[in-house]
Amino acid sequence: MSTALTPAEITRAKWDKLAPRFDTMASLGAEKRWKPFKTKLFSHMQGKILFLALGTGLDIPFFPKGQDITAIDISPKMLEEAQDRIAAYDGTISAEVMDVHEMPYAEGVFDQVFTSCTFCSVPDPVAGLKALHRVLKPGGQLFMFEHTGSKLYPFRQMMDFMTILSEKIGPSMNRDTVSNVRAAGFGNIEVENVFLDVVKTIKAVKAG
Amino acid sequence: MDHRLYYVVGDFLVSLLIGVVAGLAAWAIVGPGWNMWAAMALMMPLGMVIGMLIYFPLGSRLGAMEAMIPSMYTGMWAGMVVGMMEAMMPLPLHHAAEMGAACGVAEIIFIWLANTILRGVTKA
Repeated sequence: MSTALTPAEITRAKWDKLAPRFDTMASLGAEKRWKPFKTKLFSHMQGKILFLALGTGLDIPFFPKGQDITAIDISPKMLEEAQDRIAAYDGTISAEVMDVHEMPYAEGVFDQVFTSCTFCSVPDPVAGLKALHRVLKPGGQLFMFEHTGSKLYPFRQMMDFMTILSEKIGPSMNRDTVSNVRAAGFGNIEVENVFLDVVKTIKAVKAG
Repeated sequence: MDHRLYYVVGDFLVSLLIGVVAGLAAWAIVGPGWNMWAAMALMMPLGMVIGMLIYFPLGSRLGAMEAMIPSMYTGMWAGMVVGMMEAMMPLPLHHAAEMGAACGVAEIIFIWLANTILRGVTKA
């Protein structure tokens, strides 16, 4: 009998393993550097919000106060690490362990979906984005802060090289997330490059 | 480029350090008489690995992609340039270090310029 893990189980295992030391890796460097850009992106929060891949909650201090946020993450260990930040938030965050590919929400229930460095790790990114498209109301907005592959030489080759290593422990470095957003059915896509064409914010809309 | 002083200075110093280390590695590994293209083929990936190894401990203070990409890029160029020069003629140790440092400075300036050009909003 086969005991092969599914892609979602592999992803969960990778992030569960990283959870205890994730803050040490990310909180002093990446999160501080990205703070102004994330704060600006999250300032758009309003209405019924889904936050995908809350992780250890490093993004929570950048959320505007008073929001009612449904947050999911594939890794129970990451969400355990997030509990103090969830409790400290001046608003409501309902966090649940959930795979984006298997969200039980009805169609068209959220006004906005936010992601933060998420689609480097979702096993099937287009299917994951289609799932977000499904749960958004018509006219609903997708806001993403993501790192992607580059279209430019030699950065593209470097990201491909790095992905060989990084995929073993966590994220892919060479995904074309903007194309994936389009392939998932979103329109009116606006991209703001934060660092080269690698770190970026993406805003997109589900057709009304 | 990132205009916050901490990151300007940090990115600059890390690039300088990686350039020197990759240059010294090329000086230590490549010798006169090597085929220049073989030196290039070896030192480009090795320089990238050196850049990554130096990035890992420093990245937790300087950021993710903003620190990793310049680190790998500088390592690649410094390793390649010093390796190819060493293959053509023997370099004194301090020249290899200076050449690596110059590559580090040139590469971080290139990254800053590229970032200045690429940053901003576009409709996809």
